[in-house]
Amino acid sequence: MQASEFRYMQQFLLRKIGLSLADDKQYLIKSRVTRLLREHQLDDANAVARAVRRDENGPLAQQVLDAMTTNETLFFRDQYPFEALRDLIFPELIHAKGRHGKINIWSAASSTGQEACSIAMTASESVPEPGRVHILGTDFSAKAVEYARRGVYTQMEVQRGMPIKQLVRFFDQQGSSWAVRPELKAMMHFDHANLVDNSLAAKVRRHGPFDVVFCRNVLIYFTPEERAHVIDRISRCMHKGGYFISGATETPEGRLSRWNQVMFKGKRLWQLQ
Amino acid sequence: MKALIVDDAKVVRVTLARMMGQLGYEAVKAEDGRQALDAMAEHPDVDVVMLDWNMPVMNGYDFLVALRGMAQHATHPKVIMVTTETGMPSMLKALAAGADEYIMKPFDQDMVAGKLAMVGLEAAG
Repeated sequence: MQASEFRYMQQFLLRKIGLSLADDKQYLIKSRVTRLLREHQLDDANAVARAVRRDENGPLAQQVLDAMTTNETLFFRDQYPFEALRDLIFPELIHAKGRHGKINIWSAASSTGQEACSIAMTASESVPEPGRVHILGTDFSAKAVEYARRGVYTQMEVQRGMPIKQLVRFFDQQGSSWAVRPELKAMMHFDHANLVDNSLAAKVRRHGPFDVVFCRNVLIYFTPEERAHVIDRISRCMHKGGYFISGATETPEGRLSRWNQVMFKGKRLWQLQ
Repeated sequence: MKALIVDDAKVVRVTLARMMGQLGYEAVKAEDGRQALDAMAEHPDVDVVMLDWNMPVMNGYDFLVALRGMAQHATHPKVIMVTTETGMPSMLKALAAGADEYIMKPFDQDMVAGKLAMVGLEAAG
């Protein structure tokens, strides 16, 4: 890739979605945009960069952003966050809110919906009257949001991370695909949102304030400054004492928000002061 | 850690044995349910059975019922079905007979490792 085009793409990704791409990550752009070449009749990643430069708000630009941010995900990823919900967080919330109080959870980088689904399954199994649990899933990729809304997964996808007992309990078979059952779907709402957008809080407000926010393996892509803004923005949508669940190696370091570390089975969770 | 791989297709036996080997398991192989029962008698220390459904002589389901009918194997070893039987009724039937997990073919090593973790067996290697 030409140095000038790569530099432009670095700036474009940073400006649009806060994605901080290191100088040695040219291969990532090349590998992610390859599948867009034929559709747009472009020769290579340089041509993609030039086309994006001509129309930063056009469909190709959106597809490039989708391609750079959509990662394969799995159900019950890392397991411990869902064990923490079941064994620590839900019991605390039920104690504090009584048997009927609403519990709001936000999957802040929900991709194709597996994390939100895993939260909903955990709630169904461990919260009396699980219908009072409301889960918002947001993602930058409109395509991923659409996929999550449909809630129909391939045979390969449902076998990544999900035990068979949950599959037969919470999904309906449709040929070789598997559809989330209506009672689980009713707990979830998916919307398009950008974590680096200043209007984020306004967009998610009607679904909150949140008792728990999952924001995993996303913060690492932001510059330290943008990361702090994202953390503060999220904190403004949360209840005091609400839990923030980051990736295992990520730490929420906001400028304005303060967090207490809570250990669960040797893993770190965070609680808003 | 020891795995018994039961499948009438050689390519599946070889592929699964290689994957299980990479996950740190010693692999014992059988071509049908009858051979698998003999293998269990010879290797009672098997930790997990990777079990196909449709096989000649004795199918995987009949093997599973026979295995769980033995007092010493009522819950041990773990049994993971690895099969082209992808209908929900088959899954429910296998679970009711004592299967612990279920893999719908095709599969890859990540999926196998994930399913082992789900039955409480981490990769041994």
